[in-house]
Parts: sequence; C-alpha cells; structure tokens
Amino acid sequence: MITFLLLALLQVKVPDPSQFVGPPKGAPVAGAALEQRTYEIASLLRCPVCQGMSVADSPSTVAQDMKAQVHDLLARGYTQEQILGYFEHSYGQFVLLKPKFRGVNTLVWILPIFVLVVGAVVVIGTARRLEKEPAEQPEAQAAASDDPYLARVRELMEKQ
Amino acid sequence: MNRTVLIVGSAITLALVAILFVGLGKDPQAIDSPLVGRQAPPFTLKAVGNGQDIDLQALRGKPIVVNFWATWCGPCYQEHPVLVQNAREIGPQVQFLGVVFNDTAGNIQSFLQQHGSAYPTLLDDEGKTAIAYGVGGVPETFFIDRKGTIVAKFVGPLSDDTLQANVAKVLQ
Repeated sequence: MITFLLLALLQVKVPDPSQFVGPPKGAPVAGAALEQRTYEIASLLRCPVCQGMSVADSPSTVAQDMKAQVHDLLARGYTQEQILGYFEHSYGQFVLLKPKFRGVNTLVWILPIFVLVVGAVVVIGTARRLEKEPAEQPEAQAAASDDPYLARVRELMEKQ
Repeated sequence: MNRTVLIVGSAITLALVAILFVGLGKDPQAIDSPLVGRQAPPFTLKAVGNGQDIDLQALRGKPIVVNFWATWCGPCYQEHPVLVQNAREIGPQVQFLGVVFNDTAGNIQSFLQQHGSAYPTLLDDEGKTAIAYGVGGVPETFFIDRKGTIVAKFVGPLSDDTLQANVAKVLQ
C-alpha cells in the first residue's frame, strides 16, 4: 500500500522553481539555521490574502503554504535572491514587502528625499527673506514720511 | 508669492485627487498577474475520483481554462454551476480543469457528487501549483491559449458573461 502511494505521489509533478530562477546557487540549509532563514525570508514576503501582513506572521493557509515553499527551497540550496525572484515571478512585485529600486518604485525612495530638499530650500529662502524685510521697513517709513499728504493726515490724526 | 503658492498648491492637490480617483476606482482584489503573456507553469496532478494523471503540457494545442477553487470557498459554490454548464456547452473545443488546494479528496468528492461535474478536478496537495500561478484567494481562473500562453486571469467568481468573454480570447 505504501509503495503504491509513493508511486502515485511520484507521478505528481508541481511546477519546479528551477524552470523560472534556474538551479540552486547556494548551499542547502538545515537544522536551526533553516528555521531561522525561513522566518527571515518569509518576513520579506507579503501574504497575498492579508492586509499588509508578512507570510512569516500570517496564520492564513496560503501564507503557510508559501512559508513551507520557502523552507523547501532553502533546504534545496536556493538563495534568498532566487526565492524572492520565484515568488515575484508568480505574484509580481506586490509580493515583496520591500519594493525594489526599479522603475516607478524608484519614486518611493527618491520622492521623500526630493521633498525634503525642496522643503529645506523653501524654509531657508523664506528665513533669509524675513531677515532682510525688517531692515527695509525703516526705509519705507522714511520714504512715507516724505509724502506731504501723508504727513498732513498724520498731523490731523494727532490733533484729534 | 501668493499666486505661486496658489498654483503650486492647486497642482499638488489636483495630482493627489487624480491619484485617489484612479486608486479608488480600482478593485482592491484585482491584482495584475505578471504571468499574463507568459507560458503557463507546467504541472501533472492527479484527478480526484479516478486518480488519472493530468499533464498540462500534454494538452498543448487546445485552449485550457484552469480554475483554482476549494470546497471551503463561498464564492466557488456560486461559480461552480457556471463552469459546469459552460464546459458542457462549449464541449471539446476548450479543456476545463479544476485545481483544488488546501482541501481533501473526500471533501471534493462529496462536493462534486452534490453539485455536479463536467471536467477533471485535480488536487494540489501542498498548494505548490497554486503558488506557481500566483494564486492568493480562490476562486481564480486562468485562460491558456493553444500555444500554452496565459492570455487572461480572472479573480473572483465567474459569471456566464465573464467566462465566455475570456474563453473567446483563448479561442482566437
């Protein structure tokens, strides 16, 4: 019976990651290191049925299957880059919790720095302009006092 | 200065409103599949019931509809009659395949006995085939053309219209 079951299982062929990311490029991982690396890599993958949760932390069955796949691939000697590449091949960049520095994603990294630089320029520019303005005010007042009509208005206001 | 602030502020506000408008108009469940336009990942899985091996590559030359589902999935009950009826009507022109994951052969057999069946249902025991196809939540359906290329992916329960529109794509 066991032989029959084994033969039956041998005929089942699931898609092999080597077809998409090539043969394993690293050394097989085993023991406690395997559990640790599985958790680390699963933490980099997004659970596709959860809200912003990693595969490592999600209790969903899909995430459990993905975690088991990571475990299996590490044991076979696949590297972190290959494993993440395999999941990205199937699910797209969506599955990576840390977006890659590529294409539109570049904006995610560049935009905050750009906004910070622009903000600093605006703040420094405004501060410099405000520093100059009080110096200009007495000159403006002096110029205003030369105006005979304004001087007359002030004189009348003072009398009242 | 006030004019510049107004123009820049309006531009930023308009850009944000446009992003929100586009983002909110999308179905959050609809995730673009990177597999569309690529070769379908090959698999050989056992059919529930008769134990027959079904090799996807052996079916090359015929359009294929691969439907990932499970007996614990509510919307799968809704779309099952649509798939069965269309598989019967379309006949041998298109090969329909059901792939069930995170489930047991017993549950699947009783489901099929109760709700009917018109095409092979395969068991993806460890969910590895589902992972290779980037399946998140069931039901998800892939439409594969004669050359083995994935032409379309549909997330959620199929209706007659959505199924027939996608089948038309693989028959072209």
